[in-house]
Amino acid sequence: MAATPMPLEARNIKKRFGDTEVLKGLSLQAHKGDVITLIGASGSGKSTFLRCMNLLEQPDEGDLLMHGEEIRFKQTRRGREPADWKQVVRMRAKLSMVFQGFNLWAHMTLLENIIEAPVHVLGKPKKEAIEQAHALLERVGLSARANAYPAQMSGGQQQRGAIARALAMDPEVMLFDEPTSALDPELVGDVLKVMRDLAAEGRTMVVVTHEMSFARDVSSQVIYLHQGLIEEAGPPKDVLTNPSSPRLQQFLAPKY
Amino acid sequence: MLDLQGYGPRLIEGAGVTIQLALLSLILAIVLGLLTASAKMSRSWLLHKIATLYTTVIRGVPDLVLMMLLFFGGQMALNVATDALYDRFGVDWYVNLNAFAAGVLTIGFIFGAYMGETFRGAFLAVDEGQIEAGRAYGMSDWLVFRRIRFPLMMRHALPGLSNNWMVLLKTTALVSVIGLSDMVRVAAEASRATHEPFVFLIPVALIYLAIASVSEWIFARLQKRYNVGFGGH
Repeated sequence: MAATPMPLEARNIKKRFGDTEVLKGLSLQAHKGDVITLIGASGSGKSTFLRCMNLLEQPDEGDLLMHGEEIRFKQTRRGREPADWKQVVRMRAKLSMVFQGFNLWAHMTLLENIIEAPVHVLGKPKKEAIEQAHALLERVGLSARANAYPAQMSGGQQQRGAIARALAMDPEVMLFDEPTSALDPELVGDVLKVMRDLAAEGRTMVVVTHEMSFARDVSSQVIYLHQGLIEEAGPPKDVLTNPSSPRLQQFLAPKY
Repeated sequence: MLDLQGYGPRLIEGAGVTIQLALLSLILAIVLGLLTASAKMSRSWLLHKIATLYTTVIRGVPDLVLMMLLFFGGQMALNVATDALYDRFGVDWYVNLNAFAAGVLTIGFIFGAYMGETFRGAFLAVDEGQIEAGRAYGMSDWLVFRRIRFPLMMRHALPGLSNNWMVLLKTTALVSVIGLSDMVRVAAEASRATHEPFVFLIPVALIYLAIASVSEWIFARLQKRYNVGFGGH
C-alpha cells in the first residue's frame, strides 16, 4: 500500500442500460499527478465510465474509492443507489468535471459561474472566491470576459471558462468528458493548451478524448476501451506507438 | 361629474378585497403548481396519479361549480369532521369557513392545476446539462433547484404564469356568488339600487384594467430579469 492513498480508484465497474451491458467490469487507478486518457470508438463506454466516477450514472456493480474511502451503495427497488448522498456530494466537490457541451450555467456571468460552487458548496467567502476567479480567468486567458454570459462567448472560450470553473473547486481529480469534441477545429488548440499546462503542473486528470496527440504527449496512462471492456492499457509509448491488439491497431490507423 | 352616490368607500374596500384575494390565491396557486409539477415529474407512481387526478378534475369542472362545492360542501364536510371529533373524543372545536378563505382556497386550488402544467412544461424545457453540472459540482438537490433549476425554469414559465394570473384576477369576480363583497358585488348592488349600472361598472372595469396594466409591467420586468444571459430581450 502506498503511503498516500490514491485520489481515485474504480474497481470492476459494471453498468447496463436496459438489456445492453455497456460497462462489463472496468477498473482504473488514478495516483496523484496521473493523467489517464480513455480512448475508444463511440459506444465503447468511455464516457459512461467517466460519468460513473462521479456518480452522474449509477454503476450497477463495482466499487469507487477516494483516498481509500469507499462510496457506500444500497439496493433499492429502482436498482443500486448510493447509501449516503452526503458522502456523494462531498466526493463530487473534490472531483471537478468538464463536459463536452461546456454546461456553463446560462443565467450567470462567467465570473458568477466560477464562484458559484466555491461559495455555495464549499462555503468560501465571496470576496475570496472572486479574487480567485479573476486569477483563474487570467490563467485561461479570459480576463476580459469575466462579465460575459456563456451565450456571448465562443465555444472555445466557454470551455476554457468551464475549466476555470473546475479549477476553482481546487479539485483532487479533474474529469474531462470529450472536452474538445464540440469545438470548431481552430478552437481546439487553446483548450488543449490549457489542459497540457494543467498536466504539466501535476494535476490528476482522467480524460475521455479523441485527441490522439494529447493522449500521446500528455498522459501517463492510456486506456483503450472496446465494447465495455479494457482492451489495452499502459503508457502511451506502448499503447499508442506499439499497440498489440489488432482492434487498437485498426482504431489508430489513419482513416484516409 | 362622476357621482358614486355614497358607494365610493365600499367600492374601494371591494377593490381591496379583490386585490388581496387575487394575490393570496396566486401564492397558493404557485405553491400548488410547483408541487403538482414536481409530483408529475417524480418517479413515484402514486404521486404521479394523485397529481394527474388533481389537474384532470380541476380543469374539467367549471370554476363556479367548484367554488360553490367547496364553500357549501366544504362547510358541511368540516361540520361532519368536527362533530365526529366531539362525539368520539369530546374535542369541542368548530371551524367556520368564511367566504374569503373559501375564495382563496378555491381559486388557489383551481389555478394550482393550471400552474402545475405551466411549471411542468417549463421544467422540462431546462437543459439537463445545466442540472448535471450542478450535481457534478457537489450541489445538493435543493441547491440545484434553488440556484439552477428554478431560475432557468422561470424563463420558460413566465409567459404562461402571466397568462394564468390575468385569468385568475378576473376569476375573483366569481366570489360574489358565495357572498364575498368584492368590488363586482358592490358595483352590482349599487347598480340595482340606483338603476345606474354604468356609473358603477365602468369604474370597476377600469380598476381591473389598471391592475392588469401594473401586472403587465411587473411581468415584463420579471421576464427581463430571468432572460438575463439569453440574449434578445
